Amino acid sequence: MTESAVSIKGLVKRYGSFTAVNGIDIEVGRGEVFGLLGPNGAGKTTTLECLEGMRKANGGKLRVAGCDPQSDQRELRSKLGVQLQSSSLPDSIRVGEAIALICAWHGLSERLDLIQKFEISDLLKKQYRELSAGQKRRLHLVLALLNNPDVLVLDEPTAGLDVQSRAQLHEEIRTIRLQGITVLLATHDMAEAEELCDRIAIMIHGKIAVCGTPAQVTAAGSKETRIRMRTTKGSLLPGGDIGGATFVKANDGYLEWNCRDIAPSVTELLKRVQDADDTVEDLRVERPSLEERFLELVKGVENR
Amino acid sequence: MKAFFKYLWIQLKMDLRDKGTLLVFYLVPLIFFFVMGAVFSSINPLMKTTLAASMTIFSVTMGAVMGCPAPIVKMRESGTLRAFKVNGIPDMAVLSVQAISAFLHLFLVSVIIYVVSPLAFHSAIPRSPALYFAVLAVFLFASIGIGLLIGVVARDQPFATMLSMVIFLPSLLLSGIMFPATMLPKSLMWLGRIFPATHALQSFVGLAYQTKTDMNANLSLGIIAGIGLLMFVLATWRFNNVRRSEQL
Repeated sequence: MTESAVSIKGLVKRYGSFTAVNGIDIEVGRGEVFGLLGPNGAGKTTTLECLEGMRKANGGKLRVAGCDPQSDQRELRSKLGVQLQSSSLPDSIRVGEAIALICAWHGLSERLDLIQKFEISDLLKKQYRELSAGQKRRLHLVLALLNNPDVLVLDEPTAGLDVQSRAQLHEEIRTIRLQGITVLLATHDMAEAEELCDRIAIMIHGKIAVCGTPAQVTAAGSKETRIRMRTTKGSLLPGGDIGGATFVKANDGYLEWNCRDIAPSVTELLKRVQDADDTVEDLRVERPSLEERFLELVKGVENR
Repeated sequence: MKAFFKYLWIQLKMDLRDKGTLLVFYLVPLIFFFVMGAVFSSINPLMKTTLAASMTIFSVTMGAVMGCPAPIVKMRESGTLRAFKVNGIPDMAVLSVQAISAFLHLFLVSVIIYVVSPLAFHSAIPRSPALYFAVLAVFLFASIGIGLLIGVVARDQPFATMLSMVIFLPSLLLSGIMFPATMLPKSLMWLGRIFPATHALQSFVGLAYQTKTDMNANLSLGIIAGIGLLMFVLATWRFNNVRRSEQL
């Protein structure tokens, strides 16, 4: 059996009497993009910091790229790339110097390939203070990749970025994924998690509330998929359930149904339209979003 | 080791780009040197005997105590230390590079003062230049140690500035570099003896200029070295403690 890229078993982290992470288990396979989601204070960053070796866990077993984050720090640094949530560099360091410095500490020659790939050659002479927020994030991402890591930890990499920088960074994360690097991504952005992650875990109050693919997590919620349809002749009449879909309302020429399993419902609806010698003018399927599922989970935990 | 020297080289280049560093390590001490040198040498010709030493003590104290803590506090506050650590740069390398770069800047300023003093203000040249620079090296060691300790003790910049002033002002006023310490009330004279600046003046005067001192110059040099050692040990201990507590 191949070892997971990241293995967390029963991780517990306390700050005084407050338990930030309360016995979580996560296994991340090699080459997987795994998203860690949760509200503020859920324990995402603490979990990542324990994996990075920046914080010592109070309990549990951690392995990152085959290393123990506390006892194998030196080996870990050569196998792990980290982009911290809040990190900085000295204001007057030039981009080229920062890259040369980190390469030197990793014992590597300068990674010209990464400079070209991330299109930062025009920034090499710029000082850190002169970079935009998006450029700073890109630089920190490049620094995290300099050691050609097996595992890359990204803690809210797109927080505070404009739409263009965000899209650019997403593209870069997709490229990283194609290289087979395991990515552990903590984010508040549900759309980002849905778009980039193979699997996600939602953390609430230091525990994993749910874990699975974004589709699995969304489907496990109480919200149903909404089907809206308008036909040319209006042959379908309001009311009545069709193919497992429950009629909701008629609105602006559209009929609306809710269903859990859309395939039989849509098939039945289309069959009825065809039987009535009608044609579909517009058909919309609105699946419940990850954000709705997330809010549902958070509300559920808070009401408990 | 190659990585360490690369870091040191980059740090020196960064320092030269940073206005704050230039101001506190070079500009203010040198302006003070030229103004006070002119004033002191004209109103009190006796000051000419130790002008280079007095101005060096002022510059080193100012640069080390006011200049060293700021980048350390800023690196802790801004997350630079964390960014360095996750990218493989050890915390102690950061502290060491800060100390060595400060040493080099302040040594350079001290050399400028040493060379310019006799030319511009006809001040005395030390009888033993070797001992002059030996005392300077020990004094730099102690002053930078104090600067580092302030940098690792202070939680933020205002607190660091306050601690720096607590060291800098008495060093300036009680050490004897502005006026003879013997003119001070006894209590203040004794208070002045806890600062390395006081002992530095005694060591420069006694060992490098080889003239009469109020204290044993060798003992003073030993006291400076002791203070320096203590400061470095305390700064390292405190720095490790702070880094550990930040990782609780």
